[in-house]
Amino acid sequence: MRTFSEVYAALRRKNRGHYRMLTGCSFFSVLLITAYVTMMRSPTVLTVLPEGGDSRKQVMMVFVLACVGCAMFTLYASSIFFRQKSRETGVFLLLGASRKQIRALLFADLARISFGSCIAGAALGAPLAWLIWRVFRLVVVDSEEMVLTFDPTAGLFALCFSVFVIVMLFVMGARFLRRTNIIDVVNESHKTEPIREVKAWYGTVGIVLMIVGGLLGYLAPSFCVRVLQWYPPSIVSGICYIPLFIGLYLLLLHTVVNGWRRGKSRYKHIITTSIMKFQGRQTVRNMLVITVLIAGAYFASFYTPMLGVGAMMGYAERPIDYAYHYRADQNMVTESEVREMAKEEGVTITNWVEGEGAELGMDGTTQIETETPVGTTYTTEYVEMLSSEIVLSERTYNALTGQQIDVQPGHIRAVCDDNGDNQNMFDPDVTRLTNLVTGEVMHVIPDSDAPLCYTMLFGRYVLDDGDYETITRRLEGRKWFDHIVFFNVSDCDASYAFAKRLFHAIVDRSSPEVEVIDAYNIGAEQYYQSIGKEYAMAPENLAKYQLSPIDYDQRDSSDFRLYWKYMPQFRVLDQNDFVRTMAVYLMLFIFIAIICFAAVIIIAYTRCLTIALANKQLYEDLRHLGASPDYLFRTARGQVSRVFITPCIVGTTGIFALYAMIMYLNDNQFTFQELVGMGACLIIVLACTLVIYGVYRSARKQVCRLLGI
Amino acid sequence: MLQVKNLHKSYTVGKQHYEVLKGVSLSVEKGEFVAVMGPSGSGKTTLLNCISCYIPFQSGEILLGGTALAALDENALARVRNTKLGFVFQDFMLIDGLTVRDNIMLPRIISGNTGGDMEQIADRLCELFGIDHIKHKYPAEISGGEKQRTAVARALINHPLVILADEPTGNLDSKSSRAVIQSFEQARRELGATIFMVTHDSFSASYCDRVILMKDGVVYRELRNVGDRSAFQDHLLAAIKEMSRE
Repeated sequence: MRTFSEVYAALRRKNRGHYRMLTGCSFFSVLLITAYVTMMRSPTVLTVLPEGGDSRKQVMMVFVLACVGCAMFTLYASSIFFRQKSRETGVFLLLGASRKQIRALLFADLARISFGSCIAGAALGAPLAWLIWRVFRLVVVDSEEMVLTFDPTAGLFALCFSVFVIVMLFVMGARFLRRTNIIDVVNESHKTEPIREVKAWYGTVGIVLMIVGGLLGYLAPSFCVRVLQWYPPSIVSGICYIPLFIGLYLLLLHTVVNGWRRGKSRYKHIITTSIMKFQGRQTVRNMLVITVLIAGAYFASFYTPMLGVGAMMGYAERPIDYAYHYRADQNMVTESEVREMAKEEGVTITNWVEGEGAELGMDGTTQIETETPVGTTYTTEYVEMLSSEIVLSERTYNALTGQQIDVQPGHIRAVCDDNGDNQNMFDPDVTRLTNLVTGEVMHVIPDSDAPLCYTMLFGRYVLDDGDYETITRRLEGRKWFDHIVFFNVSDCDASYAFAKRLFHAIVDRSSPEVEVIDAYNIGAEQYYQSIGKEYAMAPENLAKYQLSPIDYDQRDSSDFRLYWKYMPQFRVLDQNDFVRTMAVYLMLFIFIAIICFAAVIIIAYTRCLTIALANKQLYEDLRHLGASPDYLFRTARGQVSRVFITPCIVGTTGIFALYAMIMYLNDNQFTFQELVGMGACLIIVLACTLVIYGVYRSARKQVCRLLGI
Repeated sequence: MLQVKNLHKSYTVGKQHYEVLKGVSLSVEKGEFVAVMGPSGSGKTTLLNCISCYIPFQSGEILLGGTALAALDENALARVRNTKLGFVFQDFMLIDGLTVRDNIMLPRIISGNTGGDMEQIADRLCELFGIDHIKHKYPAEISGGEKQRTAVARALINHPLVILADEPTGNLDSKSSRAVIQSFEQARRELGATIFMVTHDSFSASYCDRVILMKDGVVYRELRNVGDRSAFQDHLLAAIKEMSRE
C-alpha cells in the first residue's frame, strides 16, 4: 500500500458494510420512487383515473408522502455513513491530510455510490412495476385495460429524484468535510445526539394538534367553497394539514424522550427510554417517516375494500335483477326479443315492467367562476333553463317501483337513493320545467322535504299524471323520451351468459347519437349554446377537456362501463365484471400500498439494526453490571418495539380515524355499506399488522444476535 | 523547537464566557521530554489542541521550529501536522481497517512521500518498539499497550519536530503504561525526538526532563528532573499536593 487512494480502497473493502448500506438505501429509494412514478404516469393508469378526480389526487398525495419518506430515509442513511466515516477522516486530517486530498477520494466514492445506486434503481424501477403488475394480471385479474404501457415522462420524475439523491449526498459530503474543527470530527462518532428538553405536555398537545389538523385539513376546503365561494389552490388544504404533522412530531418526540409511563414502572424501562432518548432526533425523524408511510399505505389499502364492499352491497340490495333504459327513438331490442334470448340461454324471466319518461328542461343556479391569482372565486346565478332531466308521471313511477305515491298537481318530487339522499348529485329544488321542443313552461313546487326513495331511478323527477300530460303533450319526437325496462329472472346468479348477450345486444342496437357520457345533458348543451360557450361534455369536445370519449368498440373498458349514459344495470354482470371493470383502480392502489409497506419495512428494519450497532458497548457495560440475559432481551425488545409499535399505532389509528371522519362527514352519518367497508378495512389492518409483526420479530431476532443476547 | 508566548483562549457557551488559557508561555527545546500536568479544567488539553492547530486561539503566538502557526493557511497547517508534528492520543486514533504496519506508514502515504525506505523505516520502528510480531495484525487484534506503541511509531515516521501526546497512558494498565513511556524515552534517546505530553499520571511524568504544572489557565510552576526518577515522582506529588491546597 503506497498511495492514499490505496489506503482509501483498503478501508472501503474493510468497511464495505457501511458502503453497502448507503448504496442499498439510495438504490431502494430510487427504485421505489421510479416504480411508483412509472405506474402513476403510465397511460394505463392515466386513461382510467379522471383528470382532477379524487383518485388521481390520492395517488399524487401518497406519491408526495413516499417521496418525502424516501428522501428522509436516504438522508438518514447518508448521515449514518458520514458518521461512520468521521473517525477515519478525522485521523487523516490530524495526520496532515489536506481536505482537498480527502474530498477527491470521498467524492469519488460518493459518485460511485450515488450514480451506481441511482442508475440501478432508475433502471430497475420500471421492470419492478411491470413485474408486480404482471403478477396482478396473472393472479388477480387480466383485461385489455390492464396491459401496462409506459410514458417516457415517468423517467423525468425518476431522474429528478435521482438528481436529488446525488446532489444531497454530495452536499452532505461537502458539509461533512467543511467542518473546520478537527476535534469535532474526531469526536463525532462518540457524540450523542443532542435533544432539547421535551416538556410533559408535548404528548397531549401533539394529539390535540393531530385532531385539529385532520379536521381543519378536511373541512377548510369545503368551508372555502361553500361559505367563501372560493376554490382555493391545493396548497391551502396542504397548509391546513400542517398542525397534523406538527402534532405527530410532538407526539413521537414525547413518546421517544419522555415515554408515557409514570411512577415506578418508569424505572422498569429506564434503559430502553434512555437509549431512545439519546438516539434522539434521528429516531423521531425515522418514526415520523414510518408513521406517514404507514398512513399512506393504509390509505391506499382501504380503497379496494371500501369500493368493493360498497359496490357489491349496492348490487346485492338492488330490487331489480335487470334494469336498462334507452332513448325511445333507438331501434332497441324488444320484450319478445329479450324473452327469446332468455329462453335460448335457459333463463326464466319472472316479471317484466317498463315505462317511459320525458326529457324536460329544468331551472337551477349555476356558478359564474372568476380566475384570481389565489384560486377561483364564484358567484351564483339563477338560470331559467339550465339543464334537462328525465321526468316520470306518477303512474309510471308507481308501475316501475311498485310503490303507491301521489304527487300533488303543481308539485314535483325528486327521486333520491333508498336512504332519501341526493348525494349532492342533483338539485331537487326545481321550480320551472320547459318543454324542449315548444319552449312551453310549467311552474312547479318542489317537495324537497318528501323525496322519493328508489336508487334504481336515482336523479329522475316525478310529476302528477295531469301535469305530465300537459307538459309533454306537444313534445314531439321520440328522442325526447326515455324508455325504462325492469325485469327479474328466476336464478339471477346463473344468468351471466344471458346478461352478457343482452348487454351486447343493447350496445349493438344503440346509435352513434347516444354514444355519450353520463354527464352529457341535452338541456345543458342548449344552455351553453345560448350563452355562446363550449359544452365540455359534448362528444366532440371530450378529448379537448382530457375526458375519455365513449366508444362502443370498447364496451368492456372501465370508461364505458362506468360512464356510458345508457349503461344497463344487470346485477349478475356488474357483480361478475366488477374486478375486471375496476381492475386498474384496484390494482393501482394495491400496488401503492405494497410500495409504501415495503418502504416501511426496510426503514424500520434498518433503523433497528443501527440502534443495535450503536449500543453494542452499552450492552457490554450492562453485562458487566450483572444484567441477566432476560433483562438484556427485554431492553432490546423495548427498543425494537418502539421503532415498530409507536408508528404503527399512530399511523394506523390516525388514518383510520381520518377515513372514518371522511365517511361520516360525507352525509353526517355512517351508512351500513360504509360500516361494512370499514370492517373490511379493519381486516386488512389486522393482516398487514400481522406481516409487520413478523418483520418486527425478525428485526428483534437480528438485533439480539448483533448484541450477543 | 516549540515556543508558546502569552497564549489566550476562551470559549463562549450561550451567554457564559469561559477563559481557559490566560496568557500561557512556555518553550520546549530540541530532544526534550516535557510533560504538562494539572487538575481537570486547568487548560492543559486546550493548550495541546492549540499547539496541534486543532482549535484557533484569541491571542498570543505559537512558534514551531521558528514558524508562527497562527499565520498559516489550511494547506500549510496540514503540512505542519503531517511533517513537523507527531500525535499520540489517549484512545490511540488508529484506523481500524488498516494493519499495524499500514497505520504506521499512513503519514508518509498521506504526504505522498512513499519512497523506497518507507517500509524499512516502518519495520525498524516496529522492531524498536517491540511490535514487530504484530505488524500485520489489525488494531482490533492487539492490546492497548501495543496500540499505543503503534501510535508512537506512527508519530515518528516523518521525523517530526515535536511529538504531541495527550494522556497517552490514560487508557492503559501500569505495565502497558510503562512500555509506552519507555518507548517515548527510546524515541528521544535513539531518534532524538522532542516530546510534549499532557498527563494526569505522575508516574509517566516522572520520566520527563521537565514537568509544567498548570492551574486555572496559567503556568503554576515548572519542575526539573535532575536525577532519580522515583525521587522526582515524589517531588512532583508534593508539588501537586501543595498546588491543590492553594
